[in-house]
Amino acid sequence: MTNATFQVSQVTKRYGVGSTEVTAVRNVSLSVAPGEVVLIMGPSGSGKTTLLLMLGALLKPTTGSIQLNGTVLSALAENRLPDIRLREFGFIFQDFNLLSALTVLENVAIVAELAGLKSRAARQKAAAILTDLGLGERLNFLPEKLSGGEKQRVAIARALVNDPALILADEPTANLDSKIGHEVMRLLRRIAKEQQRSVVIVSHDQRIKDIADRVLWLEDGQFKEVTTMAIDPVCGMSVEQEKAISTEWDGRTFYFCAKGCRDEFMTKPQR
Amino acid sequence: MSLARRNLVQDKTRFMLSVLGVALAVMLILILSGFLNGMYRQISAYLDHAPGSIVVAQDGVRNLLGATSLLPADMDSLVKTRGAAQVVPILSQFVILDLHDKKVPAYLVGYEPKIGGGPWQLAAGREPRNDKEAIFDRVLAQQHNLAIGDTVAILDRDFTLVGLSDRTASWMTSFVFVRKAALEALLRAPGATSFLLVTPSVRVGEDELRRRLSDRSSIEVTPKSTMIANDLNLYGGVFSGPLRLMVAIAFLVGTLVVGLVIYTATIERQREYGVLKAIGARNSLLYRTVTTQALIASSLGTLLGVALAFGIAQLIMTVQPQFLIVFETSAVIQALLLGLAMALFAAWVPARVITRLAPAEVFRK
Repeated sequence: MTNATFQVSQVTKRYGVGSTEVTAVRNVSLSVAPGEVVLIMGPSGSGKTTLLLMLGALLKPTTGSIQLNGTVLSALAENRLPDIRLREFGFIFQDFNLLSALTVLENVAIVAELAGLKSRAARQKAAAILTDLGLGERLNFLPEKLSGGEKQRVAIARALVNDPALILADEPTANLDSKIGHEVMRLLRRIAKEQQRSVVIVSHDQRIKDIADRVLWLEDGQFKEVTTMAIDPVCGMSVEQEKAISTEWDGRTFYFCAKGCRDEFMTKPQR
Repeated sequence: MSLARRNLVQDKTRFMLSVLGVALAVMLILILSGFLNGMYRQISAYLDHAPGSIVVAQDGVRNLLGATSLLPADMDSLVKTRGAAQVVPILSQFVILDLHDKKVPAYLVGYEPKIGGGPWQLAAGREPRNDKEAIFDRVLAQQHNLAIGDTVAILDRDFTLVGLSDRTASWMTSFVFVRKAALEALLRAPGATSFLLVTPSVRVGEDELRRRLSDRSSIEVTPKSTMIANDLNLYGGVFSGPLRLMVAIAFLVGTLVVGLVIYTATIERQREYGVLKAIGARNSLLYRTVTTQALIASSLGTLLGVALAFGIAQLIMTVQPQFLIVFETSAVIQALLLGLAMALFAAWVPARVITRLAPAEVFRK
């Protein structure tokens, strides 16, 4: 469980100088609360990957600051960043990027060992997480023997093993079919909510919008449109708050996919 | 480390090739240096076992095997009167023997069996009792199907083979021993002496005896150890250069084999190393992984190479007994260190690849 607050303030990233200068990300600000799932979407070349790299302390912003729990990551010396990445961030990649020579269990345990856990304890912790994610029968398999969905669940386990404050996922569904991709994203959302971890996902995949609490649209290095998502309490469908039918009850706002759902809700709002 | 080991054995063929590459290189290094050691031992074998600590030769002659020496008459009596406890005269000459229609070089030593200067170890038979008997090196005799009791021609006379000497073989020239008077007759030089192998008396000592003989300009008085060193320089020097070059080439080949294997394994896994860096692994861990891989491959290769070298050396010495291959402990330790050096050199380039690896690259499609 974590109560981290992730704060990005007026971040800009420029590449090159003079006539060759390109601004990949321009004055972007973002705050992610514990347990919140943020989806960043946008066309190719919009600056999504650059932003993700800066969020993950893999790239320094030209200007602006990135803070995690009050620590300004963007001001830290280069040699302190590996530890931050190891303990505070969990990375999930498009191509899963599992170590091909290691078993499922070892792929997860090695990250815990890197953080200082003894081998035995690391393996126990890794086994527990993998079992929780439904991979208990696959612990000694090599990655090549797993399906795409299983590989991505191993990647999620690897991202979770050091109890990070923030999980960064780069196109996590790109190599998965629609059904499996959605299952994996629901799993990620469940983890975010249950363990109060912040999740930032960069993706082109429109189908996963419903698992996000917020969808941000990045274009030309800037957020153009902010869509806040909500779950219809009646049918469970994900809806954009700005476009949904809403109603106030007991000091809270509820959003619905259609008038019918709202009417049904109002018949028994205390449910 | 598990990752290093797993990375290495995942591609078993490549792993075995790298181990084999190092093994062959180490084996070659050991065999070549063993051969060099053996050659040195063969060159110095006679003087190592000859009596005395001083060698008296004709003026200007400072080695035994590379020069012809003829001492002035009665020199042994003079040396004795100046403070020698024992003087062993020998007459020696390089000769070409005609054995089974083959020209075979040999180092012919004429000695007095009662005084010494002959073979120090007999594999079979006895020492010559008259001027028509000879002792052949055991390996030389074996190569030409000569046995005790056979008649063999040395220069223009026939001799009966009465003994076989051990440890007097050489791939260059083996030793043949006859009585000194027999060789004098063969060379038509009655009373001739090539060298005196001198043991100084305890009272006089080596340095004093050499000083006492320094007034004789017709002779060269040299410590036996210097004579040995001069022989080694003369003959060893000719072969040690090329042999050392071959050792260096073997080292280079071994390093390149491990280096190439570790390099390609690293390049293939570049993305995985990048992922580890992105996750938070430090360069030191990745260096360790790459170096451990190289160390595992080269350690196994070195051990296999040492075992192979011993096996191959035995085989060579059985099939071609004139070759002596001597493994000294220092040479084996040197081979182990070379294996370690191969690993470190081999890991150097892949380690640089990892240093330059930007973890952000794993996010690029």
